[in-house]
Amino acid sequence: MIAALTTPYVAWWALVPLITFAVAGFLLLTVASLVRRLPAVLAPAWTAVAGLGVLLYLVPMWSRVGRDGADSFLAGTVGVDRSSIFVTGILAVAVIAAALISRDYLPREDLPGVELYVLLLMSAAGGVVMASANDLIVLFLGLEILSIAVYVLAALHLRRIESQEAALKYFLLGAFSSAFLLYGIALVYGATGSTNMVRISAFLAQNVLVDDAMLLAGLGLLLVGLGFKVAVVPFHAWTPDVYQGAPTPVVAWMAAGVKAAGFAALMRVFVLTLGTYVSDWRPAFQVIAAATVLAGAVVAVVQTDVKRMLAYSSIVHAGFILVGLQAATDRGNSSVLAYLAVYAFLTVGSFAVVTVVSGTGDASHGLDAYRGMGRRHPALAGVFTVLLLGQAGIPFTGGFVVKLGVLAAAVDGGAYWLAGVAMLAAAVAAFVYLRLLVAMYLEEVPSGTETSGAVPLGALVVAVASAVIVLVVGLVPGPLLDLARDAVPVLVAG
Amino acid sequence: MYLNQFLLLSAALFAIGVYGVLARRNGVLVLMSIELILNAVNINLVAFAAFGNQLAGEVFALFVIAVAAAEVGVGLAMILLLYRNRKSIDLTQIDLMRG
Amino acid sequence: MTAVLLASAGTSSFPVLPALVVTPVLGALLVMVLPRRRPELLKLVAVSTAVVTGAMSFWLLSAFKVGDPGFQFLSETPWMGDLGVSLLFGIDGISLFLVILTGLLFPVALLAIDPGHDARPYYAWMLLLEAGVMGVFGALDLIVFFLCFEVVLVPMYFLIGRWGHGNSARAATKFFLYTMAGSALMLVGILALAFLHADATGADISFDLVAIAEAQSLSTGAARWIFAAFALAFAVKVPIFPLHTWLPDAHTEAPTAGSVILAGVLLKLGTYGFLRFGLYLFPEASHYFAPVFLTLGVVGIVYGAIVATMQADLKRLVAYSSVAHLGFIILGTFALNTEGIEGGLLQMVNHGVSTGALFLLVGMIYERRGTRMIGDLGGLQKSAPVLAGVFMVVMLSSIGLPGLNGFVGEFLVLLGAFNAHRWWAVAAAGGVILAALYLLWAYQRVFHGPAEGDNADMPDLGLREALVLAPLLALIVFMGVYPKPVIERMEPAVDSLVRHVEFHVDGFSEPVSQMGSEIGPLDDSHGEHG
Repeated sequence: MIAALTTPYVAWWALVPLITFAVAGFLLLTVASLVRRLPAVLAPAWTAVAGLGVLLYLVPMWSRVGRDGADSFLAGTVGVDRSSIFVTGILAVAVIAAALISRDYLPREDLPGVELYVLLLMSAAGGVVMASANDLIVLFLGLEILSIAVYVLAALHLRRIESQEAALKYFLLGAFSSAFLLYGIALVYGATGSTNMVRISAFLAQNVLVDDAMLLAGLGLLLVGLGFKVAVVPFHAWTPDVYQGAPTPVVAWMAAGVKAAGFAALMRVFVLTLGTYVSDWRPAFQVIAAATVLAGAVVAVVQTDVKRMLAYSSIVHAGFILVGLQAATDRGNSSVLAYLAVYAFLTVGSFAVVTVVSGTGDASHGLDAYRGMGRRHPALAGVFTVLLLGQAGIPFTGGFVVKLGVLAAAVDGGAYWLAGVAMLAAAVAAFVYLRLLVAMYLEEVPSGTETSGAVPLGALVVAVASAVIVLVVGLVPGPLLDLARDAVPVLVAG
Repeated sequence: MYLNQFLLLSAALFAIGVYGVLARRNGVLVLMSIELILNAVNINLVAFAAFGNQLAGEVFALFVIAVAAAEVGVGLAMILLLYRNRKSIDLTQIDLMRG
Repeated sequence: MTAVLLASAGTSSFPVLPALVVTPVLGALLVMVLPRRRPELLKLVAVSTAVVTGAMSFWLLSAFKVGDPGFQFLSETPWMGDLGVSLLFGIDGISLFLVILTGLLFPVALLAIDPGHDARPYYAWMLLLEAGVMGVFGALDLIVFFLCFEVVLVPMYFLIGRWGHGNSARAATKFFLYTMAGSALMLVGILALAFLHADATGADISFDLVAIAEAQSLSTGAARWIFAAFALAFAVKVPIFPLHTWLPDAHTEAPTAGSVILAGVLLKLGTYGFLRFGLYLFPEASHYFAPVFLTLGVVGIVYGAIVATMQADLKRLVAYSSVAHLGFIILGTFALNTEGIEGGLLQMVNHGVSTGALFLLVGMIYERRGTRMIGDLGGLQKSAPVLAGVFMVVMLSSIGLPGLNGFVGEFLVLLGAFNAHRWWAVAAAGGVILAALYLLWAYQRVFHGPAEGDNADMPDLGLREALVLAPLLALIVFMGVYPKPVIERMEPAVDSLVRHVEFHVDGFSEPVSQMGSEIGPLDDSHGEHG
């Protein structure tokens, strides 16, 4: 009877990024447990090379999908389209950046070995699964692979009790929100009879539900579950605490990678799968987006801890991404993808600087630590300035280009009020970045602060590269916008 | 047997779980409440699968059980770590960070 | 930009307008990479970059086709293809003189004042500021305009904050947030305008100013809303009366060069915005809202004058006099006739020259005496007669004395306003008298009377300072005596703008009062001033 067993079609070429991350993680774990003394540089280099390899592999993959069209395989549960490739690219960049920042962070904090890199690779693998899921089961699995690794990553700083508190908070709220997400998936499954996204969207397009209460309840629970992951109001409360407590390189990954994967999932679930119900979920998205940008910006203003400021600013950014997402159009989707890409560079660069400034113990995150930085570390301060101006959305930085994109999508969809609210919130949020600039340039160095130490190479590379990319995108936005336009997601039946 | 009966049971478990997460101060109990929600999900999935005459729901339930086990493993480890440091697993005492 | 328009206007082979933007940027980059061992090179590079830019802007004057109301020196480069944004530059008689003013004031400000510290970033920011301002005056694409309009905040923020006096960090932050919040809704307005225009015409999305303005495809209601979003941004930038509170702080705390540029050029971004993007894009809405702006303009004139009278700080006094002058410009702009707009435009240039010179002079006094308090000064005429003389001329031009540049602009504004709305003009004329009062009074207290203490041996103008002030003085006199070359280049563009407004406003009441026939058409009145 064995001959009768047919295995599903697998497009192995499309699984290479996922396999690379996962196998790189396993191999690193195995080698580290077998070899007693691993050179310290091996693990970060290994991780960065894995990320770089994925990034390079994405180029032929991109053109292949462009030539042959999107595909789905493994019985229609995993899909590959250009949006999943785009998000995978963001994840790879975030992995490389986090690995480079960690290279000097772990020895400085006297933390052991390779676990950070293994978990980083694992969670990246989870993110890739999320970005290419064609089935709600697979989406959930990807989310859990990603999340469980990040829970542990957040707890990794063994001597900082804040790190453990942050991790526990993140874990409990994350598990809670996963449970909501699951309940939502179960209800959608009950209402439509399938967990496959293609079949769900086909079912909803062809049938009019007499009683759609169960579907709407499921939709709401899905929104809650994914809203937690991407940290939008009112599901954002964990963000500042976790950002403040978790080791800074991990925060860079959380902000850039986890958010990208989360929004990719939101896009696949709501815009693609539940697109027929857009008139039901759009008002909720709009209200959430407006509340997110406003609350994030206003609360960010009163923060004194820079990591918390950046946490709230990441909430504002999440709101902006929602502004583009709620349009549920091709323009909206591509603006979301472009935003995620630029945002990834902005955050990894910013947190690279924060890692350097925080000093041994990962503790000095007050504004004091930034006073007079313009004099002590002119180069680092200059790079940070570019990144902050980018986050503020100042023209001729990538931040402006992508903000323009999401606003255009919102205005195109007629959501003028939402675009107006978002811009006002951006003006409020600008105050936060100005406070940092004031501290760096306009306030004197507090006496007793040691003058410039050497800036670790890994973090410096990340910060400088991010700033350069943010500027280049701001001046020559065409290539990124074209990539994002071509990366509009599609669902394809297997 | 009607589908509604299973859904009601599941909804009740879900509600109890949510209440537990929000009201309990003990970390382990919160973890157990989350497990309760996951089991509510499982009941839903299996019931839908049984009444819809298909397998996907049951398969999904198996995945949920496996993932829940992994999650509990990580969660208990974290609670243990915190207990070593603070001699308490009272979640209201997690207050180092304020903003 | 449609091919037709490009062909009719004629493209110059050398993209001079982009060059005006790119040259300062290159200069700024060069300043940043100069070797640390040669600090004297910094100023040389910065000033020569600004001089080259200025020379290019003056070349525009000679190459400009007189009598052509359209845009000249057009150049277009696609930029954000998907969104229809392109780097579209061009100038007409309205923007020409603002470009030249920018080209003139930057080298003057750079040459006149040395930063006390951190010269490298100072020069870099100044040059980037110039690039941004040139971009604003040259841009014919709404998004590019907005980009430049916003980006000038960053250099100005750092210039005020790092090289300013007193509580400069606070003033800089206030300036930044005020203007950023003001222009926040403008971006939404621009997007809404472009998408509504694309919907109405069925064309691809585009932010081309001329195409959108000529089509006038929006409904009246939508146009009014979007005009309000634009107007808020411009009103903060100008600043119009209730939104002006950032200005005195920014001016007082800013370094002298910052004040010169702020008053001379940056405030014009708002008034220029009203002309180019308010009236041109939304003629009906501008007409509808005109009474509001006329009233606020007059209030600004009177309020600025009264508050200036009470200032003890010479720099703050000049800052408040700016509020009054800008009220005049707004009054002229919203008179919506050729005389008013032309006068407003002239006043923009005049105010840039004379207030820029006033801030320079105040800065020179401050450099010598370490104080700007009117009470601490006195009798400076005896110790520094040349400085006093220059101050006198500039001040009289600011008052609007016939024979100096301020008179021509103020007269045209009052004429235009009188034709359109008589009582507003009468009230504004009161402001002229008040201006004479506070400026002459300040002059008397600072320069006359007995010179005591440090005032007695204050050094007079040095050669460099005299050289810097000379072109400004020459312009003040030249434009007062012979404004024809300026007016004949402005007039076709202003005329066509006014006709555009009249054409698109239903039942536009030609604001000719009984006085109209007696005063006669404007062309004749040139001779009177000339």
